[in-house]
Amino acid sequence: MTYDCVIVGAGPAGMSAAIELANAGARVLVLDRAPRAGGQIFRSAANSPLSDSGALGTDYTAGSKLIERFEASNAEHLSEADVWHVGEDGTVLYTQDGIPRTVQTREILLCPGAMERPMPIPGWTLPGVMTAGAAQVMLKSDAMVAERAIFAGSGPLLYLIVAQYLRLGVKVAALVDTTPRRNYLTSLPKVPGALRSWPMMFKGLGMMREIASSGIPVFKGASNLRVLGQDMATGLEFGCREQQRVMSNHVFLHHGVIPHSNISRSLGLSHIWNAAQHCWQVQTDAWGQSSVPHVSVAGDGAGIIGADAAQSAGRLTALNILKRLGRLTPAERDRKASEDHAVLAKMAPFRAFIDQLYGPSKCLCLPQQADTIVCRCEERRLQDLKEGFEQGARDPNALKSLTRCGMGPCQGRQCGPIVSSLLADWRQEPEAQVGYYRLRSPQRLLSLEELSRFQSRPRGGAE
Amino acid sequence: MNADVLIIGGGIQGCSTAYHLARSGASVIVLEKDYIARHASGVNAGGVRLLGRDLAEMPLSKASMEMWQLLDDILEEDTGFRQKSVINIAVDEVDIATLKARDKKMQALGHSHERMIDQAELREILPHVHASCVGGAVSDMDGYALPYQATNAFRRAARRFGARFIEGQALNHLRQIGPVWIARTQDKTYEASTVVNCAGAWADQVAMQIGDNVPLSHAAPMLMITARLPHFTGPVVGAVSRQLSFKQFENGTVLIGGGAKGFADRANNTTRLDYAKLARAAKTAIEFFPIMRSASINRMWAGLEAYMPDNLPVISPAANADNAFHAFGFSAHGFQMGPIVGKVMADLVLTGKSDFDLSAFRIDRYDRKTL
Repeated sequence: MTYDCVIVGAGPAGMSAAIELANAGARVLVLDRAPRAGGQIFRSAANSPLSDSGALGTDYTAGSKLIERFEASNAEHLSEADVWHVGEDGTVLYTQDGIPRTVQTREILLCPGAMERPMPIPGWTLPGVMTAGAAQVMLKSDAMVAERAIFAGSGPLLYLIVAQYLRLGVKVAALVDTTPRRNYLTSLPKVPGALRSWPMMFKGLGMMREIASSGIPVFKGASNLRVLGQDMATGLEFGCREQQRVMSNHVFLHHGVIPHSNISRSLGLSHIWNAAQHCWQVQTDAWGQSSVPHVSVAGDGAGIIGADAAQSAGRLTALNILKRLGRLTPAERDRKASEDHAVLAKMAPFRAFIDQLYGPSKCLCLPQQADTIVCRCEERRLQDLKEGFEQGARDPNALKSLTRCGMGPCQGRQCGPIVSSLLADWRQEPEAQVGYYRLRSPQRLLSLEELSRFQSRPRGGAE
Repeated sequence: MNADVLIIGGGIQGCSTAYHLARSGASVIVLEKDYIARHASGVNAGGVRLLGRDLAEMPLSKASMEMWQLLDDILEEDTGFRQKSVINIAVDEVDIATLKARDKKMQALGHSHERMIDQAELREILPHVHASCVGGAVSDMDGYALPYQATNAFRRAARRFGARFIEGQALNHLRQIGPVWIARTQDKTYEASTVVNCAGAWADQVAMQIGDNVPLSHAAPMLMITARLPHFTGPVVGAVSRQLSFKQFENGTVLIGGGAKGFADRANNTTRLDYAKLARAAKTAIEFFPIMRSASINRMWAGLEAYMPDNLPVISPAANADNAFHAFGFSAHGFQMGPIVGKVMADLVLTGKSDFDLSAFRIDRYDRKTL
């Protein structure tokens, strides 16, 4: 027995797609690394360790409804199932309880979600520096917070975590906002379109007001960020009219999210450079179908759209998969899809506004100093890469072969986007021309013993 | 664009040939469809070994080994070469018999670089090897180098002598008009009086355009590498009758190979891995080195490599055209031979002959009459 569809990732897109597929009678398996469904955005939403998870906002608490619907559906869900290989032949390899297993599936749906855009400022690898998203993970899953932390960067997620901290009564040392001032002007033409999603606009504005009225120091238009400290972070230095310093042992960085593309890359799917969002994303059609027809991608993993839109995208992708499985006619698919297509169309201008307003500044995407680390795993610095480039390694993979940048356990997740853009800069060519690392499974470190126990006989669905 | 010699393929053979030719004053263009060392030359295990070589290759391989010892100085580059013992482990008496038979042949031919070791010496050299291993053969002048870096070293040295490297342009068409070879890519034309085919897994297609048919096949040998481990082994390790190849680099990572093959998708310029076979390779590695049980695999990959039916390369003038030469089909052991093959090809191009007996490597060795 095999599955009609295996979904990798139980976030908003994966859960929504699973419900749709299971309701139509398809055999669905959802594999997810976390102990409970929800993805990053709804992490622990159904079992929050916080006494009052309301402080995290109504969007978060609403996630528990989706999780409940998903868990009540006929979709099979394996939690703590760590997927380490997805093959275009329909083989999915994962490890659960230390035992590697195989499933086979007609259709593959990847819902890998987003990751935070790397921010290679001087000192970004010092202990004490984390991403704002990591701060949120600690808060959601363990109810842990860092007192008197500095939040630096820009984008909705950064402001959200600051607002959540403030609501919980946690002291915040400063919000260092790097949104370039000109972005407020350049994003103005997109405001009317964004107002079609006025509840989201108001929610965002409300959050900004909440932060402004809290009295915490807010530095707007900050630039030239540098984390202070030798062996650990002691503070943040930056320019904001004049040179500023805020001292703290916790620095949380964030300047937007990008699709998590390691699995889609390893699968060899086509990817495109999204100039508006300044990131790579897998190439899909309006139904989430990739360059390999039986592989689809939905949610932020296919281009940043946010949790609400991800649910629509998940359902649309599921409808198309049902059509591909012969369970829906094209006409039935289109009829059932009209509402979600409309939702996505309505949300798109709001996303375009956010992309414009919080578009990352180049000097935060690319390291500016010769000794700034680019590859954390192999400790490769800007100067090492420049030297490799000058030795003739003009391709990301050649540069990787020569300098070892990207060869570490994170599989280039952190340095990959930086290397693409650095080479684009040096070659004076667009990222699309430069390309990206060729990635391979495993998606995570795998013990030799774990691999040795792998057997090619697939796990049947009925077990 | 014109040159004396056009080399098709920027792997180690092409780059080494370019270096030796350019150093002799020839003008050289290397045409590479991807970037240099993209396939077998850049992603192989880096083995630089004499141990276990086919006897037909021995003179070339020995000469190459002497070059490797001095290569960094000759090229004024860092190839990452490290001299290390290479050991072939015997697990039983059958393996020992195999090694003894080879030893006898080698001695008769006057080769003395391989010597047999007993169980005690094996344990001494490899303290972590499984207790059941009974002995082996060792070659002390062998070692390893860093594949991409070594190939790039040849490129950089060749460039200093004026060789030009064209990356990202695939050969679409090659023909000889009178004394001139004309090579066309998608948007450029190159002309040269001599062409050298170093196109690796694509070399049969180039050979065909030169006029030579050759029974070349291609495959995708797989490798895996661990995250860094405390140093536990110095030598490079193989096994007589098992698919095992194993070495720990200076940075602590351990490379595990052994010849298990994935899927070669030449048309799409890529490979896929066969995880069941990799699982068996992992099992073999643990059997020989139980200490590896908990090691973490960081990456797994495969490269596209060209094979001849007899696992010997083609190093040869073209059979059916003048001023055309071949160096390909190294069958997963060509990296070590790169330095000398470049020299041999340069000699063939410039003088029409070589110091080495190349009869085993003729391109037309599979042409025969059928009844």
